[in-house]
Amino acid sequence: MKRPALAAALALIAISLFMVGYRIVSLGYPVTPARPDYVWTFRFDGVLQGTGKDPLFLLSLPSQGHGQIILEESIGSGSMNFNLLKEYDNRIGVWSGKPGRNGEYISYRSTIVFQHEGTERTVVPPRSSYPYGIADEQIGLIEGLTGHWRAMPLSTRVQVVLGFARAGAAGSGNDPDLTKLDGTLEGYDDITRLLILLAAVNVPARTVEGVALAEGVVDTTFPWVEAWTGQGWEHIDPEGMKVVPSAKKFLPLSVGGMSAIRTSAGRISMKRFELTRNIMGRWRIFFERVSRSDRFLDVWSLFRIPPEFQQTFRILLLVPLGALLIALLRNIVGFQTFGIFMPVLMALAFRSTGLVYGLGIFAAIIAIGYAARRYLNRMRLLLVPRMSVLVSLVIFCFIILALAGNKFGLRQFMAVGLLPFVILTMTIERFFVVVEEHGAKTALQTAVGSAAVAVITYLIIQWEVLQITFFVYPELILFVMGLQILVGRYTGYRLSELVRFRSFRSPGQ
Amino acid sequence: MILHPFRELHEAGILGMNNRNAEVIMARNPRSRFPLVDNKVVTKELAALSDIPTPELYGVIAKHGEVRQFRSIINNRDSFALKPARGSGGSGIILVKEKRETDLITESGRTIAIADLRYHITDILSGVFSLEGQDDQAIIEALIHPDDVFAAVTYRGVPDIRVVVYRGVPIMSMVRLPTAASDGKANLHGGAIGAGIDLQSGLTITAVHRSTIVARHPDTGNPVCGIEVPHWKKILLMAARSLEMTGLGYIGADIVIDRYRGPLLLELNARPGLAIQMANRTGLLRRIQKVDQAPENIFATPENRVEWARQNL
Repeated sequence: MKRPALAAALALIAISLFMVGYRIVSLGYPVTPARPDYVWTFRFDGVLQGTGKDPLFLLSLPSQGHGQIILEESIGSGSMNFNLLKEYDNRIGVWSGKPGRNGEYISYRSTIVFQHEGTERTVVPPRSSYPYGIADEQIGLIEGLTGHWRAMPLSTRVQVVLGFARAGAAGSGNDPDLTKLDGTLEGYDDITRLLILLAAVNVPARTVEGVALAEGVVDTTFPWVEAWTGQGWEHIDPEGMKVVPSAKKFLPLSVGGMSAIRTSAGRISMKRFELTRNIMGRWRIFFERVSRSDRFLDVWSLFRIPPEFQQTFRILLLVPLGALLIALLRNIVGFQTFGIFMPVLMALAFRSTGLVYGLGIFAAIIAIGYAARRYLNRMRLLLVPRMSVLVSLVIFCFIILALAGNKFGLRQFMAVGLLPFVILTMTIERFFVVVEEHGAKTALQTAVGSAAVAVITYLIIQWEVLQITFFVYPELILFVMGLQILVGRYTGYRLSELVRFRSFRSPGQ
Repeated sequence: MILHPFRELHEAGILGMNNRNAEVIMARNPRSRFPLVDNKVVTKELAALSDIPTPELYGVIAKHGEVRQFRSIINNRDSFALKPARGSGGSGIILVKEKRETDLITESGRTIAIADLRYHITDILSGVFSLEGQDDQAIIEALIHPDDVFAAVTYRGVPDIRVVVYRGVPIMSMVRLPTAASDGKANLHGGAIGAGIDLQSGLTITAVHRSTIVARHPDTGNPVCGIEVPHWKKILLMAARSLEMTGLGYIGADIVIDRYRGPLLLELNARPGLAIQMANRTGLLRRIQKVDQAPENIFATPENRVEWARQNL
């Protein structure tokens, strides 16, 4: 008899843990989905003035990928039109049309999260190429001078090039070849020099324009160089000609030498880039990922249902926990409650009123209802009509409460919602019957027991960490079911029975 | 040790609520048989088939349209008991000891208008007192005239004898004695006294009142121990036959002793309470285990089972 229940419980628990484990290990779900993470809010504001016919304004926008996820974006374009353009690796926002006479205010805003996992992978290694406008004979000369560097390993090549870019020929004792190289590169700016040198030693490189990833406001972007080192792009600071270890310190906007901001037949009279760092629950970040994924469990995820229904399921998923709690309190502790699920329903009702007001409203209405029920008892009413009188009374109380709440500005009094009237009506009737049959003391004990269970259930279902965890891993319900089965097979004494049968303990030994 | 109190109760052979529900009731009482004991009208009919005496039935009111028959049912009766057929814990019962022109006098001395009692009947029919609120029937039956044996330890009302029967073997018994606190009801959590009865001798042993051991009745002051229950063997036999009657393996039989008719089966309960253990200062679990170890042949007839119980428990 005991075995199948135990087996079923363990099987449910095992299935649930297996599914959670599979999601975490194979699908990369967050272990602690409720933990907060940092997200960045990137914002561009500008005022565009038209100077000719059909002005255009192009802004390179942050793009998806390389450990960078855009959670949400919004665009302000005033009376102008907005289009999104893809250009190689860049996403470009294009504002077109006629700006207002005093300029047009435009804006772009996005929430970006950087993932720390090193899942960044470029499948095809890029090829090195020279910047535009370098003559072939010059390339031949430079390659001739740097020939011995090309034999070195990739990372050493980058270091050697950077060393030369920093100090020039003077850095290596005025080697004649290098002095010649210096002369050849005369006239190019630092970034172009670096790009030429890296191309000469077969290191793929690109220029990137963007902003530093730090809270604050800047009015301009700056360029840097990224060199391919085999595993990924390394960020090179053009000021110090050094490799900067983590690329997560910059927000790239435009990749490949294009300017991040371009205008035609217009000019920008004001521009600012603003970055702020915010805290956001991991599940929100995660939600974005799931909603773009094609994997089976991601497609069949609660995150995919329309957001207006998600809140309901966040609560529903925790109701089984409340039921488990009631099972525990009744069968193992020996609590008395009105009905089995009354406390759960009460807890759900408390969500809209809050705990203190909820308990107060419940106590007050049950007291009024009880007085009315005593009086009704003298009036020879049949069961069903009598219950309908109680329902009307309860709803009438709600209305009085709402009106009083409105008068005194207590929103909680108006937030009773639809659910509680059933619970209250039933509780009044149950309370009356228990008073009649078992006395006021038992009735009050049961009422306090129900309220206590309702409060604990309320605290559980309102606990966001739990809500999110169950929402991300709905299979945890199976776990709860397993525990419920185990409670159902607990045939030992209830804690209350230790008191009830205390006269049998250590009998006359 | 945290587990120590649990072990103590187990060693005392106490049956806990969870254990009773899961291992005894669920294992021994098929759900399909519950209606036989949940409805007193059905129980009465079954008892009649098994030649088990019950209080004389005056009438049953099953529909709201029949409520007006109430007057004709009680027409030539001076006293009667009005009960819901599915009532539990003694709720909804009204005992009428005297009838006047338009009023009725209850056992506890209250005066009720006959019209009010008709309202009470409609309440019963609407299921106010039934276990799950289903529609119910009202039973009108003969009032019990309690035997004088417990008169000295009874405050009003009717004392009744509860016999717990496991697999047809009476394993424990007590008499429930109404007190002023219980308002004349033989209801332990209403405040009645429970006095354990020795199965062998039929003598009352210890008594419990609201979970404390008492020697005397709180209202009359008379000792509750050592009273010999009359018709003891017959009572046990009536209880033991409830197995054949209902097919339920765990039952609480409530029996009253009428001055004129002797022991009468009042009702059967498929979920008898655990307080009887306190009244007997011993646990049900130990006796259940003993019955499970008993030789198979003792289960053949009610007589054998009673005999075995009186010798072995």
